[in-house]
This record gives sequence, C-alpha cells and structure tokens, in this order.
Amino acid sequence: MSGSALPSQFEGFADARKQGFLTVKNLKDEGKNVVGVFCTYSPVEVVLAAGAVPVGICAFSDETIAEAEKVLPRNLCPLVKSSYGFAITEKCPYIYFSDLIVGETTCDGKKKMYELLSDFKKVHVMQLPQTQSGETAKEMWRKEVSLLKDKIEEEFGVDITDESIKRAIRVKNEERKLLKEFYELSKSCPPPITGTEQLKVLYGSQFKFDYAQKNKELRATIDKIKQDYENGARNVPESAKRILITGCPLAGATEKIVKAIEESGGVVVAYENCMGAKTAERLVDENDEPYKAIADRYLQIGCSVMTPNNNRYELLSRLVKEFKVDGVVEMTLQACHTYAVETAMIRKLMQKENVPFTSVETDYSTSDAAQLKTRLAAFIEMLP
Amino acid sequence: MTKWFVGIDSGSALCKTALFDGKGVTDALAVKTGWNPGLSAAESLGCILKRNSLSRGDVCVSSTGYGREAIDFADCSFTEITCHAFGGMNLAPGIEGVIDIGGQDSKVIQIEGGRVTNFMMNDKCAAGTGRFLNMSCERLGLRLEDIDEFADPDEAIPVNNMCAVFAESEIIGLLAMQKDRSKIMTGVLQSIAQKIRQMTGKVGFTGTAPLLMTGGLSKSALLIRIIAQAISLDVITHELALFAGAVGACVCAGDKGRW
Repeated sequence: MSGSALPSQFEGFADARKQGFLTVKNLKDEGKNVVGVFCTYSPVEVVLAAGAVPVGICAFSDETIAEAEKVLPRNLCPLVKSSYGFAITEKCPYIYFSDLIVGETTCDGKKKMYELLSDFKKVHVMQLPQTQSGETAKEMWRKEVSLLKDKIEEEFGVDITDESIKRAIRVKNEERKLLKEFYELSKSCPPPITGTEQLKVLYGSQFKFDYAQKNKELRATIDKIKQDYENGARNVPESAKRILITGCPLAGATEKIVKAIEESGGVVVAYENCMGAKTAERLVDENDEPYKAIADRYLQIGCSVMTPNNNRYELLSRLVKEFKVDGVVEMTLQACHTYAVETAMIRKLMQKENVPFTSVETDYSTSDAAQLKTRLAAFIEMLP
Repeated sequence: MTKWFVGIDSGSALCKTALFDGKGVTDALAVKTGWNPGLSAAESLGCILKRNSLSRGDVCVSSTGYGREAIDFADCSFTEITCHAFGGMNLAPGIEGVIDIGGQDSKVIQIEGGRVTNFMMNDKCAAGTGRFLNMSCERLGLRLEDIDEFADPDEAIPVNNMCAVFAESEIIGLLAMQKDRSKIMTGVLQSIAQKIRQMTGKVGFTGTAPLLMTGGLSKSALLIRIIAQAISLDVITHELALFAGAVGACVCAGDKGRW
C-alpha cells in the first residue's frame, strides 16, 4: 500500500510514545503525579480530575519477555509477560515514573501479575465484576470507582471537586468523540487512510498528555484528511478488501497482523480492539451523577472477561455493516483463554451476519511472520 | 496454440512442479526443496521445460508454497490455500474441500460453488504435520513410505501428546516399555487424524461430497482411512494429489488472465 499523503500528522502521534521518556520526566519535574493504568476499564477521569496524568502501561514488545519468564510461567499471555518485564527491568519510562499503578481484576493472568508487581510498585487493584447485567454488578463497580477516588485523593493529598470531575468527563468525552469521528472516516470507500495509519493515531493519542492540545490536533488531523479526500486524494485503491480487526489488544509487535493484511491486498478499516471502537464508542453521561455515570459507562466495555459478552457482539454486528466490511480477522494472543473461547461465538455470529471470518493466534515474536502472511493473504484471496 | 503454464509449489520439504496445458496436467516433477527454495524451483523449471522442448517464453510461471517469494522469476504467485483448492477442483471436480498435510503445516479448506469459503490451518505448532510424522518414523526406525506396510491396521497404542516435541518423548517412553512398534505407529496416525478433526469440526462440512487429501501423505491409504474414520466424512485422493498446489497455481494464473 502506498505511503500516506499526511506523513507528518501521523508521525506526530507515532512519535508521542517514543518521546515518552522526556515528556513524562518533564511532567514529573513540574510536580505532576503519574498514574499507570493497565486497561480500558480504568476510569481515567478520576485520575485527570485529581490533576494527575494517566498513562497506559500495557506493553506490546517481546523485548522484556525473557526477563519476565524468570518469574512468570512461559505459557502465559505475552501482554502480561511483557508488561511485567518492562516493570522489573525499568525499561518503560511510564511504569518507571508511575506514582501509582491502577489495575483491574480483568483476566486471571493480569490480576495475579499485579500481586507480583506490588512487591516493587504501588498498585491499586479495582475489583471488576465479571458481568455487566444486574444491579449487584453495577453497585459493586460504582463502589470500586468511589474507592479509587478515595485512594487517589489520599495518595496525592488532593480533593477532587465536583467541578473537576465534571470537567474531566467533558474532556475525555470530547477525545472519544474525536477518535470516533477520526476512525469513522474509514467508512468511505476507499478509506482515506490505511489501517496502519489509523492505528498510529489511535495508539499514539494515548501518549499525548495535554488533552486540550491533543483534541486540537485530532480535530486538525480529521479536517485535513477530510479536505484532502474531498479534493480527490486517494491513498488506498478501491479494490482493497475492507477488513475489520477484532480480538485481543493490538499494537506494537502485533501490528504484524495489520502489515500482513495490507501487504496482501487488504486494508484495515476498523478496529474493534481496546484501542479502537471498543472504548471510543461509549460516552460518560454528562447529565448523571458523575461517579455513577463513570462507573456505568466503563462497566459496559465489551471485553471477553465479561460473561456474557453481549456488548461485543452488538458492536461487531453494527461495525461490519457501518464500515461495509468484506472480512473480519480476529487476533488472539497465546494463552488468552477468554478471547480464545469466545472465538467460537464470534465465528457463529459472523456466519449469521454472512461475513467471512478468520481467527489467528499469535504472540509478540516475529517467528510466525511467514505463516501469518500466508494465512491472511489466503483469507483475502478467498473474499468474493 | 496451447497456453502453457508451469506451477511451482515450493513447500518446506518438497518442491513440486506441474506443467499444465490449460485443461490438465501433462507433466510433473518433485524434488527436495533443500536450503535454497529459489534454486530448487529454477532447476525444476529448467528440467520441465527441457524435457518438454519448451522455452521460458512459451510458459507462464505461477508460484505458491512457503518458498513462493523466493521464486522471483515467477510471473504471478498465490497462497497455497487458494492453490490447493483450485488444484483439488481440477483433479477431482465436485469435492467439498481439501485436506492437505504438508511438511510444516496442515490445512483444511472448504469449497462451495467453485470457490474457497473457509479454511483452517494449524497454529504455530508442528502437531499433525508431515514433520511430526517424519520425526515419529525416525524414532520408530521406519521409512515414511513404509507406513502402510508396517502400521497395525487394527490396533493402536494412543499417542496422546499433541505437541510434536512431547509426543517424541512419549514415543521414547513407549519404546522403553517395549510396546509394539506397529501399534505405536498407528497411534501416531490417529493423533494426526485428531488434529485434522479439530480443523474440520471448526469449518463445518456438510458431507454432501468427499474431501480430497493432497500433499505427500496422500500416498498412505491407511492414513486416509484413519482420517476418514476420525472426521466421519468421505476422503478420497488422486494419483497427482501431491501436485495439487502446483496445478492450482496454474489454474489461478489462467483465471487471472495472466497468459
């Protein structure tokens, strides 16, 4: 696939993560508190309202896995191993500079890893219910959000005012709306940007900590892409097969999936992963009681740790139509049991929707590059 | 004038080459892929052309298999999944799918209305592949081509480990217990059939038409019988089944109007 007409804009987002060390160090020097968060279930509004900086610390590189395996079992999700590895080796500036790490009891691997992590980092674990329905689960999660507020106030010696939590909700909602507007540009046929470019912005935007500035840049990026497209700029051939990616968190090492698709005549138009529609689609209700609204919004995220996980099915069914998807590729990470089991449900759902579906299992190594390429190229050759 | 196609299927173990006249196979050749997939493919092409009195300009060369990207002199290239399906349909029209057990992977392909509608491949793992069978034969002191003659058709000692490495340890253990080699061999074949069953189950065949077994192991009637039993579907083969991928590469090139 040809290069982008807007390299500087995408690189700005891609570079945000690489420049992380300096950015975070500067924030620390300014006296800011940094909170490392592990998952999209982390209610970052609470962190923002305390004047602290939330930063995602899920890791996507195999660089530290060997080190992690000195402690963790080999047959464990690479995301959990990699994240722990970055923490013990102090190779990740975000984890290194985190004053507090917030984790949730999502999958078994993560929740047990937090116990090991708490040996050398300050960790607060939120008890995430395993279901989204019923008042018990909702009440429990509202309580957990309130406990997080108490913890952060105590830890950083601040009072989170009503005004500041409402402001945080507005800013975060604004970001979600912009991200949604951004990736929905790819509803056009052909899409204005490749999936590689889309991911750069979705992932990179996590590492821009000045929200006002970030939202401004997102606005500018959207406007520029729209304008170029209206002026006839085409980055992606009309013939490219439109692919939606779903499954485990995808970034860094697993971008090999996107690459294999886009080198084989496909283009990724939508991500139903943590970095994409899964989290950006839902807003916090600005007219409700703030903490209740935050809790209720986060609990509805459709991750496979939930049982049943109806919200994922609903979102997928909607996205394949809205983005006129030719095929769905699911990526599961090795030893991610909940996603691996859910593959059977997703396969059935896609059969019902009459959308071709394939699922690939991988890890953070590059050893399966040739196999993935064959499998994904064959999938694209198969599409009518 | 005949439109000639040469399909080259560069697998991890064998490089298969087929000469195709637009309708069917007229010549075929299989050599060891060796360390250099590009070289074995070039030599195969040279050999096929020479013995059919053709020159490079007379043919369209289409490549497939793991080594396809190393075959830089090919005019076009397709994945082995698509090629096995189209080659399978050329060799045995009317099939519902293909089972291919290759050197380093195994795959199950579903065909409906003359095109691929679904497929499964083994993940990053050697269980159920030709490599796994090779290793087992070596441990048991047998040659791959002697399986049918040697394995006990009626009784098996189960080899339960799905992991090729651990299965080897299991076989060593069974041999140490002085278990019957011919029954262990049958257990190995059953283990491959189980792996294939996992894949056919996920694809969901209707059973209205047989599946074609391709690849080097299609020579073993016993393995085909054991697989058919395990998956409760009809499995057939063809004398040119080894060349299904190479034939399919020719068919795909023709369909794409590359000649």
